[in-house]
Amino acid sequence: MSEHQTETETEPDRERAAEATEPDAAPSTATATTESASRPEPSTERTTVAGETDETTRPEWVQYDFDGESKLSVHDLDVYYGDEHALKGVSMEIPEESVTALIGPSGCGKSTYLRCLNRMNDRIKAARIDGSVELDGQNVYDDNANLVELRKRVGMVFQSPNPFPKSIRDNISYGPRKHGDINTGLLSRLVGRSDKEAEEKLVERSLRDAALWDEVSGRLDDNALGLSGGQQQRLCIARCLATDPEVILMDEPASALDPIATSKIEDLITDLAEEYTVVVVTHNMQQAARISDQTAVFLTGGELVEYDDTEKIFENPESQRVEDYISGKFG
Amino acid sequence: MSNRNATRSELVESDTSTYEVIAAATAAVGVLTSTLSFLTLAEIVPFEGGLGGIAMPTVFGAILSLLGVVTIGIGVVSAVGVVETTPDRDAGLVTAGAFGLLWAVVAGLVVSQSLGFGVVVWLPATLAVGVAVLFGAVFPKEDLGSTLPGGALALFAGAVFLTGTVGTGWSWSPPDLQASFTAPVVVPVVGIVGSLVTAWGAAKAHGAFGRRGRQRAAYMAIWLLAALVLTVLLYLLAFVTMKGAGRAFAGIGFGPGLSFNWPFLTNGVSLMEQSPGIWPAVVGTVWLVVGAVMMAVPLGIGAAVFLTEYAEQGRFTQVVEVATNGLWSTPSIVFGLFGYAFLVPRFGNTKSLFAGMLVLSFMLLPLVLITSRESLKSVPDEYRDASAALGVSRWETVRSVVLPAAMPGVVTGVILGVGRIAGETAPLLLVTAGEIFPAKQNAPAVLRSFQVDVVMGPPFLDVSNPALFEASSALPYQLYAIITAGLSSSNIENSLEFAWATAFVLLLVVLSFYAIGIATRTYFRRKISHE
Amino acid sequence: MSQVTEDDQLTRLQEALDGAATGGIAVSVVAGVCLVGAFASFLLSMPFTVPFLLGFVGVTAYGWFAHQAETARTLMFVATVSTVTVLGLITFYVFLEAAPAFANMGVVELLTRLEQPLWNTETHVYSLVPLMWGTFVTTVLATLVAAPFGVAGALFISEIAPRTVREIIKPAVEVLAGIPSIVYGFIGFTVLNPYMTEKFLLAGQGSLFLAGIVIGFMALPTTVSVAEDAIASVPESMKSGSLALGSTDWQTMKSVTLPTALSGVSAGILLGVGRAIGETMAATVILGTVVELPDPLYDVFGNTITLTSAIAAQYGSAFGLHMNTLFAAGVVLFVTVMGLSIAAQYVEARMQRKLGGDV
Repeated sequence: MSEHQTETETEPDRERAAEATEPDAAPSTATATTESASRPEPSTERTTVAGETDETTRPEWVQYDFDGESKLSVHDLDVYYGDEHALKGVSMEIPEESVTALIGPSGCGKSTYLRCLNRMNDRIKAARIDGSVELDGQNVYDDNANLVELRKRVGMVFQSPNPFPKSIRDNISYGPRKHGDINTGLLSRLVGRSDKEAEEKLVERSLRDAALWDEVSGRLDDNALGLSGGQQQRLCIARCLATDPEVILMDEPASALDPIATSKIEDLITDLAEEYTVVVVTHNMQQAARISDQTAVFLTGGELVEYDDTEKIFENPESQRVEDYISGKFG
Repeated sequence: MSNRNATRSELVESDTSTYEVIAAATAAVGVLTSTLSFLTLAEIVPFEGGLGGIAMPTVFGAILSLLGVVTIGIGVVSAVGVVETTPDRDAGLVTAGAFGLLWAVVAGLVVSQSLGFGVVVWLPATLAVGVAVLFGAVFPKEDLGSTLPGGALALFAGAVFLTGTVGTGWSWSPPDLQASFTAPVVVPVVGIVGSLVTAWGAAKAHGAFGRRGRQRAAYMAIWLLAALVLTVLLYLLAFVTMKGAGRAFAGIGFGPGLSFNWPFLTNGVSLMEQSPGIWPAVVGTVWLVVGAVMMAVPLGIGAAVFLTEYAEQGRFTQVVEVATNGLWSTPSIVFGLFGYAFLVPRFGNTKSLFAGMLVLSFMLLPLVLITSRESLKSVPDEYRDASAALGVSRWETVRSVVLPAAMPGVVTGVILGVGRIAGETAPLLLVTAGEIFPAKQNAPAVLRSFQVDVVMGPPFLDVSNPALFEASSALPYQLYAIITAGLSSSNIENSLEFAWATAFVLLLVVLSFYAIGIATRTYFRRKISHE
Repeated sequence: MSQVTEDDQLTRLQEALDGAATGGIAVSVVAGVCLVGAFASFLLSMPFTVPFLLGFVGVTAYGWFAHQAETARTLMFVATVSTVTVLGLITFYVFLEAAPAFANMGVVELLTRLEQPLWNTETHVYSLVPLMWGTFVTTVLATLVAAPFGVAGALFISEIAPRTVREIIKPAVEVLAGIPSIVYGFIGFTVLNPYMTEKFLLAGQGSLFLAGIVIGFMALPTTVSVAEDAIASVPESMKSGSLALGSTDWQTMKSVTLPTALSGVSAGILLGVGRAIGETMAATVILGTVVELPDPLYDVFGNTITLTSAIAAQYGSAFGLHMNTLFAAGVVLFVTVMGLSIAAQYVEARMQRKLGGDV
């Protein structure tokens, strides 16, 4: 992770120290925790980066031609946090059933961009969003858009695992229960229309898909918070799969995990791409190169600089800045 | 590995429909009706006169009937599929249970009171109706289950009011309660229940039932509850101000020369006094607060520092923590009893200002300790490490690094604590309180009465302050004293007005402490988060 | 922190070598002796309290200049011990004064006696049952007001209200928590009691119903504040996790936020209940304070007395066994509220553990 050596901390020192002393933070995350996925405050997005060359981004660099259908298409997306312009005019077509990696230095807006795709940025009161995001041709920023339906179709896995303080089983069946697809309440049991069996099947299938079944099958009723970090993250992925999404967004899903857990998650992502459209944010470039079909590079100032096949980006990028970033001259 | 089993609905929905508008309007009328009911209950809208010449029961009867009919209509329209909604399979056990209970009460009252049947009839009838409504609400889909029982209830109540069964002069005295229920209470209360259950159903319909409908209904309910709470509390403040401010501020101004006059605060009560005031109570409260703060704050902060910085976390700190929390929750009257049993006999068997100070300081102590500990704990260990790494001793570190960093929290805690003890009455009754209407010269003169004598033989030095060991008044006690003396007491003219003014001054003093304390805390919190 | 300890030990070692620490210890010992002397003298009502206290002040003043660190440590230790001492003294003296009352009637009889006379100050026959019943009924009524409104208010402030509204309401509610109980009592006495008499055609002054409702509203701001703190402490990542699965805000509140904060919310309610039980002035002023059970028992429009209001209303004319009985009422109060406090602490500790994943 040498590319983060030049990064300047904007957080107050005590906060960094507090994070560093967290018992379960893996060593590899020490430089990665400045960008909090759960709550990207405007102040954490500000980063000064030394060593960037001046150049103008050309529109054709972000033009990515691919065969097949486009699942998500983003047009001229701008995000402002108060006075700060966090994301500048991003346009991008994301092909279905593939892995798209978003890379870039801390504070480049890649997490912000990801959270625009399922409108999780609506949670931040100061955020203002212009432009459009279309899922299968329907604009999710339409005034009449159904947020709940959107998030059902576009699932999300967060940077640090966030299971609910419930049993493993309840964590998995949470989504379908809330959507009314599974009903095991007292009343439905009384009148004999309980979906207990369907629930069991769903739990098993989701856990198998997330490669967690073998580890937890005997203790589905235990509290999910008792699992290890890597298991918790795979549980979160299973939880997401259980709601049957079409797109899965992942915000640095392995950054808080140890190398073994990380490789499990990476294998899982590759498998998921057979069925789902996966968009994953990472600032580990090796990881992006390993798992993704196409890569988008965001650089300082919330700009999408280049978007193409992963191979092309890593071997022969058009932009000088992207090349510098890939080769570790800054970041 | 596909899980293609989930239901799908539209991602982008159509624009607002007429159905939604009708549902929203019904909910709004329901909310307005409940507001009208509350205003009637609070006598802000007079019950007897009626509204625009129409008797109040008739007004409520008409509105409730309308609400009932429209709500049932909304449910039926959705159920027969005229409009597209997304109802759940059922309305849920809680909803059904609540409706069952409401209807059971109605049935019980009608059968036993109106029809006059004995328990053999009304009990089974009540149960039967309750269970029937419960099942009726559970079995159909959510749209019918959550509108029909409520709508029918409103319709029934409306009919009862419209037919004059319950009219303006109606009242009912249950045989085994001391109270009677009269129309001015019953009609608005029924109005509240009827309008809210229909508004709730309509709010669900506005969200097209299902989970969005549930959210609409729940949000509406929570908004209403929160609004009610705030209104009641703010109305209380406004009411005291309205009643008391005039008297409290009367005659305020610059007197002869440069002297400043505030008769209500600076006068006592005596036969000669033209405009009696509460000076002795004000002085008493000031001394009580000063004394309590002087004793409790150093002790509380000292203990907090010791527990956080010196003591090892273990049995001892645990005992102290349990003791502090216990002290904090001990009822104030128990502190009073303690003072009565322990302090009063030792101070010459009379109630005294000093005993009051001690008791209040015991009450303040746990609050200061808890808040100080919290703010000390929130000082990051890095500060301590950094200081220690520079070779500074522990005490120096505490004094020059930890305490200054924790000070804002400590100050806030003290201010809030002072607010609490300044309004405390119960313990003062037992250990401090003196005359009901003290004259100005009877205000405790603590500063002027210190005496130091050297005596031969033990104890050699005799420090005394008679003023500290005399009974005194205090603002909250003054208010209590007026109530017990009877509001028509002849000591002062118009003692009710005097009492309201006292309540106003007390409220002003206590709430100022709270406001300052909370403002300080907000200020320091902002400062820390925007560093 | 281990660094600090080592460092401190080094410093202390050096001090000991210089012989300075002996001075510090001497100061601590003399100050301690003075203080114990003052306390003993006060306990035994002897006239030496003031000289001992002056001695303590003198010694610590000297110590402050000569051996500040040691003296400060001693002073802080004294402060800690005195906190425990205060609670110990309260417990001891309240129980001590109550003992004759328990001896007079017998513990069980005093707490359960139902036959007449329930309260006779001439023959000294007492029963705490009416007092306990009054406290129980008012507390139940108060909880019925404070719990649902409190939870709704807390949810509103932390989850539902728009930010600008929240920034006004949250401090406002905290300020309202400061309204002194005697003010509530006064309003109940002057405005609400006559209202009840007029609307419910009550014969006498005051009713348990009104006292309970007023106390409930009084405990409400405290309940809202504590419950709101608990709800706000549920991590945002957990709520985001639920929303990102496509559940509505209300479903998230019901199924994730509230269950996670349940312990804190119930601690808030317990705190409110504790306040309601210990509330004196509102009950004293509003109730008719007659020592008899309402007839029938569930007649909430009837009149009785509570543990607290009995003490406040009768202490003036009480002496001997009568006063001891009032102390016994204090003991019942004290024990109940202490139990609630410990329960609240236990519940809160459970929440911490649960969020830590140890359940």
